[in-house]
Amino acid sequence: MLRYIAYRSVVALFLVWVVVTAVFLLLHLIPGDPAELLLSQGSIAADPAAVAALREKMGLNAPIWQQYIDHLGGVLTGDLGVSFRDGAPVVEQIAKRLPRTLEVIVTAALIATGIGVPLGTYAAIHANGRADGAISFFASAALSTPVFVVGTVVILIFAQKLKIMPAGGFIPFSEDPVGHIRLLLLPAGTVALSLLAVITRMSRASVLEVLQRDYVRTARAKGLPRKRILRRHVVRNAMIPVLTILGLEMGTLIGGTVLVEFVFNWPGLSGYLVAAVDARDYPEVVGIVMTISILFVFLNLLVDVINAALDPRISLVRR
Amino acid sequence: MNRAQRKLILPTAIAAIIAALVLLAPFLPLADVRLMDIPGRFSAPSSEHWLGQDEFGRDVLSRLIWGGRASLFIAIGSALAAAVIGTTLGLLGGFFRGFVEVITVRFSEVILCLPPLLLALLVVTILGAGTWPLILALTLLYTPNYARVVYAATLQVRSLDFVTAQTAMGAHPVQILARTVLPNILPPLLVQMSLVVASAMVIESGLSFLGLGVVPPTPSWGLMIRAARGAMEQQWLLLVWPSLALAGTILTFNLLCDRLQSALDPRGVTGGGALWLRRGRNAPAPTPVAKVAAEADALLRVEDMSIRLHAETGMIELVRGVSFTVMPGETRAIVGESGSGKTLTGLALTGLLPDVLSISGGRALFNTRDGTQVDLSKLDEDAFRTLRGREVSMVFQDAAAALNPVLRIGEQLGEAIRAHNDIDDAALNKRVVALLRQVGLPDPESRVRSYPHELSGGQRQRAMIAVAVANEPRLLIADEPTTALDPTIQAQILTLFQTLKDETEGMGLIFVTHDLAVVAEIADQVTVMYAGEVVEEGPVDQVFARPRHPYTAALIASVPEGGADRLVAIPGTVPTPHNMPPGCRFAPRCDHAIAACSAAMPDIERPAPDRRTRCIRWEEVT
Repeated sequence: MLRYIAYRSVVALFLVWVVVTAVFLLLHLIPGDPAELLLSQGSIAADPAAVAALREKMGLNAPIWQQYIDHLGGVLTGDLGVSFRDGAPVVEQIAKRLPRTLEVIVTAALIATGIGVPLGTYAAIHANGRADGAISFFASAALSTPVFVVGTVVILIFAQKLKIMPAGGFIPFSEDPVGHIRLLLLPAGTVALSLLAVITRMSRASVLEVLQRDYVRTARAKGLPRKRILRRHVVRNAMIPVLTILGLEMGTLIGGTVLVEFVFNWPGLSGYLVAAVDARDYPEVVGIVMTISILFVFLNLLVDVINAALDPRISLVRR
Repeated sequence: MNRAQRKLILPTAIAAIIAALVLLAPFLPLADVRLMDIPGRFSAPSSEHWLGQDEFGRDVLSRLIWGGRASLFIAIGSALAAAVIGTTLGLLGGFFRGFVEVITVRFSEVILCLPPLLLALLVVTILGAGTWPLILALTLLYTPNYARVVYAATLQVRSLDFVTAQTAMGAHPVQILARTVLPNILPPLLVQMSLVVASAMVIESGLSFLGLGVVPPTPSWGLMIRAARGAMEQQWLLLVWPSLALAGTILTFNLLCDRLQSALDPRGVTGGGALWLRRGRNAPAPTPVAKVAAEADALLRVEDMSIRLHAETGMIELVRGVSFTVMPGETRAIVGESGSGKTLTGLALTGLLPDVLSISGGRALFNTRDGTQVDLSKLDEDAFRTLRGREVSMVFQDAAAALNPVLRIGEQLGEAIRAHNDIDDAALNKRVVALLRQVGLPDPESRVRSYPHELSGGQRQRAMIAVAVANEPRLLIADEPTTALDPTIQAQILTLFQTLKDETEGMGLIFVTHDLAVVAEIADQVTVMYAGEVVEEGPVDQVFARPRHPYTAALIASVPEGGADRLVAIPGTVPTPHNMPPGCRFAPRCDHAIAACSAAMPDIERPAPDRRTRCIRWEEVT
């Protein structure tokens, strides 16, 4: 088990290096001058003096390998540079906003798992029946509606028409816990809907698969009560792939809550990213992209380790 | 056209209508998408503007169709571009492997390390908003998906015989790829394609909604929702139309993908579910436990039992009219080739038949410990549950699959005991260790904490047997328990069965096997099955000494024995259930068959008081 964790960690570190390098290459090896690209708006050419100043500021005049080393060193020491817009360290903003994004994602994951797993299991047990058809269609529809559509419609219904919920915003938990949670529920519920669809579909498929396994038949042959078979042998085994998908989806969401945060005015990391992209604030964009990617990789590592704990066979399989 | 294919019609038709609408947009009598009409802003739907007018008084229907054109152009365009690039990379990587694989497939997988929306944002940061940067970003995003799918499919196809043959004949690799590999990977490619279109539309509309995608005044669904969001108070319908169009189109492509998948892979559609888990859905038994006083001393009396398969095409009888008895302390072997119905017979007696199978006739009377007689063929799941493990128990063929891989041996054994006994933890643990010792598992104290994969094949089968005998059942059914094992381990497991039987007084054993040597070793009585029927039955020594059915004789002759210098194989194969010969089912393969054999189904005849055979010519030919 420990050897397995060590092995997976090395792989994760390698992936982080790949990501950091890929982001570097993406910005430096594309044709054209990054400084000029960043400063020009559409077809309007940038002021040469400004470009030269920016080149100096970004360290673009140094040889490429020097820039790469600086880039790696920055990431290692947690120095992601300062914002073009206000000169504040990028790391500070990230540290402030990341927890808010994670809060939305974790709440959504809890809601989605809490509803999706029983729903998917029920659909699997009643496979090809009417309830299964309804659940499957609901999941397809939920999966097909982009989050920003769901969010906007939620605002239309709950804030505009029924007037029972605020239309969005943010109150720190320390100031007003109830208000904070009320506001959190909107984006979290919206994210949860699509996540719920994924978890439901995955649970259904996975439970169906496990139901065909020999060990479920063995459990029945022992004369175990239905509930115990379902809980101990079916759902527990079926949850392993569901957990993997949940981890992957949560990783995707770290960068994918952009739209929800925008819709509900939630001041998380993703909203910060959109603003940075809009302003073409290069250090901010790179800093956020790298933070998210690294989190993504480590979340996958975490999922692998939890999987290995749930399924003791996994730690034996090394590629 | 089967059900899965029929289900494809609806999404395909809707997709075609959507495609036709946006393709024909320039030719339809639509209002100019840029024509503003400030006095008419936020107008509700009217005969002139079917879906109303937007915040600048522009016609919503027209903008909806033209917006769909922009969205679909980007989504399908990038899906196609990604398909071409990804397929090429995947084909090359899968076909040539080695270094080519690294620079094509593995390299493109790096992209999958980044969250998709993030990557798209990054590209837009560098290149600016607009249609072409979007297509570039989406192409980049989805290329690895195709590369992966095609790579996997190519690896599979590459190893097929006909591809190997072409390589051996010296065909040019490009030719092989184009002629044989490409058509074979088309199905997974199609599925991937519809998935990518749907997914690309989500990202495109999202970016447009943020103002980082399609640039106004070009209409796009994402932009329309963005604008309607600000005007929600004035005219909420403006939000509804593009939302419906967007979600509906994505849903269509997602459904197309799902149904394409099930149409291309029919295995996933049929089967599934678990009737036994559905409360109150079990076939209602008129009298679940018939409280008839035990009149016979037999432990189990199976009479004329048949098993049917409920297929889409109708009912097929897989097992027909099986009868046998098991006396207390007796071992009955059921022997036959695969497809003879011997395993199904065993499963039926424990109520563990798959959902598509059911007992369609006859009965199976079983005498329980407390002296009542129950008909096993009519029990529902709940009634069976109280018998399983305690009265009737089963050892399965493949212990590696029959044990739960994620639970410890001790827990799997313990729960079997707990199912029928109220017992505290300490006593349970003692009992578990004692059982593992009884079945000859070395070092049982520490094996309790082992997972199945940590045991050897023989040890797993021992643990499986421990689970089956945990509650000292009256009847033990063993389904090919030694087949998956090495010959030396086989002998040990057989000895274990013998010991367990000697130790447990009155336990009946049904031993299902295809191995006559095993039968000779362990059984008292033998039932020979062929194509779902009992063909011969009797005491083992008598049947082996003088088989009364040509099939049994042929089976015995086909066993490689130390002294025999030639092996007689039985010509032909077992008939399939939907293609049964009209008369004797063995007649087509029988050396002694005459016209009468194929005329009518032979009845059971009794060559001796304790022997039975289903052969009309047994007196002449055996």
